[in-house]
Amino acid sequence: MDNVLEARDLAVGANIDGALLPALRDVSFRLAPGRILGVVGESGAGKSMIGRAIAHLLPPGFAITAGSLEFEGRDLTDMRVRDRRALLGRAIAFIPQGPLSALNPMATIGRQFNEHLARQHIRRRAGRRERALAMLAAAQLFNGSQVLELYPHQLSGGMCQRVLIAMAFASHPRLVVADEPTTALDVTIQMRIVELIAQMQRQHGTALIFITHDLRLAAHICDDIMVMYAGRAIEYGPARKVLSAPAHPYTRCLQLANPAVTAKGNALYLLPEQMPSLRELTRIPGCHFAPRCPVATRRCRLGEPPNIMTGARHWAACIRSEVAAKIEAPLELPVATAGAVPSAPLLEVQNLQKRYVTLRPMLGSATEITAVSNATFGIEPAELVGLVGESGSGKSTLARLLLGLEQPSAGRILLHGKDLTECSARSRRLRVANIQMVFQDPQSALNPRRRIAGIVTQAMEAGSLRAPWEERLERARVLLADMGLAADFATRYPAHLSGGQRQRVNIARALCKLPKILVADEIVSGLDVSVQAQLLYLLLRLRDEFHFAMLFISHDLAVVRHLCSRVLVMYRGEIVEQGPTESVFAQPQHPHTRALLGAVATDGSNINRNSGKR
Amino acid sequence: MLAPVLSLLGRRLLAAIPILLIVSALLFCVLRVLPVDPAAMSLPPGATTAEVEAQRREMGLERPLAVQYLIWLQHAVHGEFGRSIHYRRDAGTLVAETLPATVELAVMAMAIAGMLGLCGGLLLFRLRGTSVETVGDLVSMLLLSIPEFLWGLILLFLFGVVLHLLPFTGRLSPGFMRPSITGFLLLDTLLARRSDMLCDALAHMALPAVALGLAFSPTLMRVLRSSLFDVYAEDFITQARLRGISETRILLGHALKNAALPTLTLAGVQFGFLFGGTLLVEIIYSYPGMGNLMVDAVRNADLPIIQAVGLAYCVMVLLINTAVDSLYLVLNPKLRVR
Amino acid sequence: MTASPRALRSGRVLAGLALVLFVGICAILAPLIAPHDPAEQNLLAILLPPAWALDGSPVFPLGTDSLGRCVLSRLIYGARTAMSVAIVASVGAMLLGSILAHVCGYFGGALDWVVGRAVDVWMSFPPVILSLILMVGLGTGLDKMILAIILVDWTRFCRVLRSEVLVVTQRDYVTAARLLGFTHWQTITREILPATLPLLITLLSLEMGIAVVVEAILSFVGMGVKPEQAAWGQMIADARQYVYQSPWNLLLPMLAIILAVSGFNLLGDGLRRVLDVRLAELGR
Repeated sequence: MDNVLEARDLAVGANIDGALLPALRDVSFRLAPGRILGVVGESGAGKSMIGRAIAHLLPPGFAITAGSLEFEGRDLTDMRVRDRRALLGRAIAFIPQGPLSALNPMATIGRQFNEHLARQHIRRRAGRRERALAMLAAAQLFNGSQVLELYPHQLSGGMCQRVLIAMAFASHPRLVVADEPTTALDVTIQMRIVELIAQMQRQHGTALIFITHDLRLAAHICDDIMVMYAGRAIEYGPARKVLSAPAHPYTRCLQLANPAVTAKGNALYLLPEQMPSLRELTRIPGCHFAPRCPVATRRCRLGEPPNIMTGARHWAACIRSEVAAKIEAPLELPVATAGAVPSAPLLEVQNLQKRYVTLRPMLGSATEITAVSNATFGIEPAELVGLVGESGSGKSTLARLLLGLEQPSAGRILLHGKDLTECSARSRRLRVANIQMVFQDPQSALNPRRRIAGIVTQAMEAGSLRAPWEERLERARVLLADMGLAADFATRYPAHLSGGQRQRVNIARALCKLPKILVADEIVSGLDVSVQAQLLYLLLRLRDEFHFAMLFISHDLAVVRHLCSRVLVMYRGEIVEQGPTESVFAQPQHPHTRALLGAVATDGSNINRNSGKR
Repeated sequence: MLAPVLSLLGRRLLAAIPILLIVSALLFCVLRVLPVDPAAMSLPPGATTAEVEAQRREMGLERPLAVQYLIWLQHAVHGEFGRSIHYRRDAGTLVAETLPATVELAVMAMAIAGMLGLCGGLLLFRLRGTSVETVGDLVSMLLLSIPEFLWGLILLFLFGVVLHLLPFTGRLSPGFMRPSITGFLLLDTLLARRSDMLCDALAHMALPAVALGLAFSPTLMRVLRSSLFDVYAEDFITQARLRGISETRILLGHALKNAALPTLTLAGVQFGFLFGGTLLVEIIYSYPGMGNLMVDAVRNADLPIIQAVGLAYCVMVLLINTAVDSLYLVLNPKLRVR
Repeated sequence: MTASPRALRSGRVLAGLALVLFVGICAILAPLIAPHDPAEQNLLAILLPPAWALDGSPVFPLGTDSLGRCVLSRLIYGARTAMSVAIVASVGAMLLGSILAHVCGYFGGALDWVVGRAVDVWMSFPPVILSLILMVGLGTGLDKMILAIILVDWTRFCRVLRSEVLVVTQRDYVTAARLLGFTHWQTITREILPATLPLLITLLSLEMGIAVVVEAILSFVGMGVKPEQAAWGQMIADARQYVYQSPWNLLLPMLAIILAVSGFNLLGDGLRRVLDVRLAELGR
């Protein structure tokens, strides 16, 4: 059968400060009707650029510079604007990343659906409404006539995504491009949305491009997988083959960097450094992955490797593909062994409660929301405790209570047996010296107007402290070295740092005065897998060096399982289950814990992991 | 749709009462620290000290300020704002006579400013990425730097004095007997079916209204343009493009309504300022509205009038803000439905 | 910091600065460069056109007004009035407004509520009317006018800056500073103020333009400076009556106002772009 989409040596150039840099190079693939192609890569790999190139909606300064992109035999790259627009929303449809922002907030779902269907040559309004209802039902929104009356802000993220999926398939498209369709959604519904897309795709016999950063997720639904690195497709092949016998070292390393939820993790593979930026690319001779590659040889740095076939429909841009699958993670890293000697708890939380009262002045009524109810737990010295739960389950409120950013409505917080509950100068002093926080969003957590040295040693200018600049610079150098950052970072500004580097600075600032407890709120979410692995390793190493305990808040069960020795599960403000990580994950007692565990893709990635050894 | 608007109006009405009380009290205090003696002002120049003292007692000026205010408030609630010292008439009546003229002028100017702002904003936005973008921006910048009273003088000079195109004094040409039905001239001429008089009134209003509109439209233009830029950075515009919807439809059908909300918020503030701007334009065009009454009162230290006119301006601004907020509520589904 | 050279590379900032400096230098050097005493009347030479016109006189480069006073000298001394109002009143309004904005936005609570309601009351008055009423209460004169403008325009700073402070206070690095032991004072001055400073500077520049206009308006209505002091608004008011005989008298002070105001506006807009400030009031 003919291909729906065929890319031949597609290249996209970016004009940055006068220089033309390659944002996408040598991308070639074929997509047959009814097949799913997974495009996998870390941020900046150029994976979204493929979807953008199909619609010809590249960011300003970006343009297709070479190659062709044929949709059903017609080249999309030099098509007239009108012709391309005639295809969009009809033969080619898109499913976006952030469903809530993808719909016009000022128009009802019905109006937007109607506008979309009006382009599908459905003349009668009633006919369009009927079709909209049918499509919504197919997307498992059964109260369709009600949904059509609503505005986007009245729907949840999951419902919005269902509406957008219904819209995408409403025109019987031949090609659908889904760009990270679940990243913005809650863990518990991610799998259901992915399965809905796959189901609709099967029903309509549509060809689907599924763009994701999650190799495991891609393996779950895709027929073929294309792995991107620094703007180039470096491996392409059937999903099962790519996962079980990766032919490119990068694919293998990516796989090993991702902690598994199903078993107590092996050590993670640590890719050094980070993906080169567009500008840096031009300075790397030979294979662009070579500087980070564990099996690179001198020959790899001589010239860019060609795409080498390694099996039926399976190729990789690597001259050492035969050893790629044999890469293994280093055997052991500092494993959490704290609490071996039972000691006095460092932090005790007893029946902690937080209620919010919202007054509605005109109606005279007050609504009470319980954000945290009856939380009781302890943290021992140097213990890593995970706190998991859905968004809105009260995790962050609990953290704010511990840090003294909110006052509890009831209950007690004890540090070394000293009461911190009271809001006093004494408890504030105790907290400042003993409990520090690492923030989720490294963008907002670092003052863009301070140099890195000033940020990490900020504690040395607090209150009545006036440390001389030389002393602070010295401390900053030590801290940066501990974080694995070069000393010359000290004089830079946060804007010059990558996400992973900022998060290291974020941790360094909290550790400046060596506190006893760190509270880390979702500090690895939103980071790429290889950066996440680096940070997890760093946290373990730092813990062994400085013996701090940590409350690690996360929605990612695999990460918690990898890092923490004990876990607390929160649901609707309550700690519904707590215990050693292994036993909670192996034998979850509470239905919600089971639901959380069930929501994670269980694709047997563990088997794939081990298959490399055999 | 109606219920939230009504509840907003109710809340606004309740909130307006304390604001008006505070404003009137503040006005009262400010005007009582005046260096001139209103009692002496109200008597002929040759009055003796005893006469002035008697007048002071009669006007209640010897009592404590708070008592004076309460007495004034008591009268004000009954619609009596005191006798004008200069005109020897009730201040409330004078305000009621001049208010319609000012309201007519302000409403006309707001319509002009709104139209210019909308068209100019869309034009500036369409210029994005072209070579004339900076030119458009600088022109709007220059327009922004010309305040309403300079526009008034420029237009008067150009169209009135040099070109003799439009009349530039008063509300009607001499010789017309204006019907007084509602007090609003345009409305009255319509009701009296005098199209000739309506045209004459409109011609008289053209220059002052355009001057005001011109002065306040650049802000609206620039805000609309920047709001459009913000909306275009949002995901749903990209998604609309990915669904193949045409650019014109995206601009007028999707982006404009979204961009209208922040523009409207600002328009509320700006229209409040515009209402104050009528004062200057009225002086320049000898337009018989509250502004001229106010300036006369200021020159004559005519306290009851200043007090009443100040309060009238305040009420009008509160009304404008309420109207704009209601419109915002009607347009914004996030506030309307929960 | 790299801000100052960056600012000087922007065309708008340079153009605005040039205009403002021109007017400013005229104001400072007024006694040296003005050909006449601005109050000196010459009843033998009234309503003279500028020197280049047919019956102009080189003694009065820009002609004379209805009392035979030198227009150029009055323009130069008018710049003095305008600039002193622009600078003193704006800085005063900025200090009052931004201190309240930072305290209210950071701490919230009862004071925030009170100031918020005060801003509501102020906003229910058109600024022109409010300043006119204040001038009635205070009496005319340069110092009174400056006080009136401060009392009217502090809300412009307070309203805009307060919402900016609210946004910055929400940032994690402000929370982090508190957790690291920063006092409230340290948090405001070292973490929040540097973030709001660009907005503050931009607003200040725009407010100076507004102050020039308000000064002109009050002088135009006759409630501004004392009659013997030269002011552009007053010149316009005088010239209105002789517009047929001498349009120059009307046009020149108008031009001066537009020049000064667009100078401040250009400077403000340029600074806004360079410092990357979002300002709804002006459109970006």
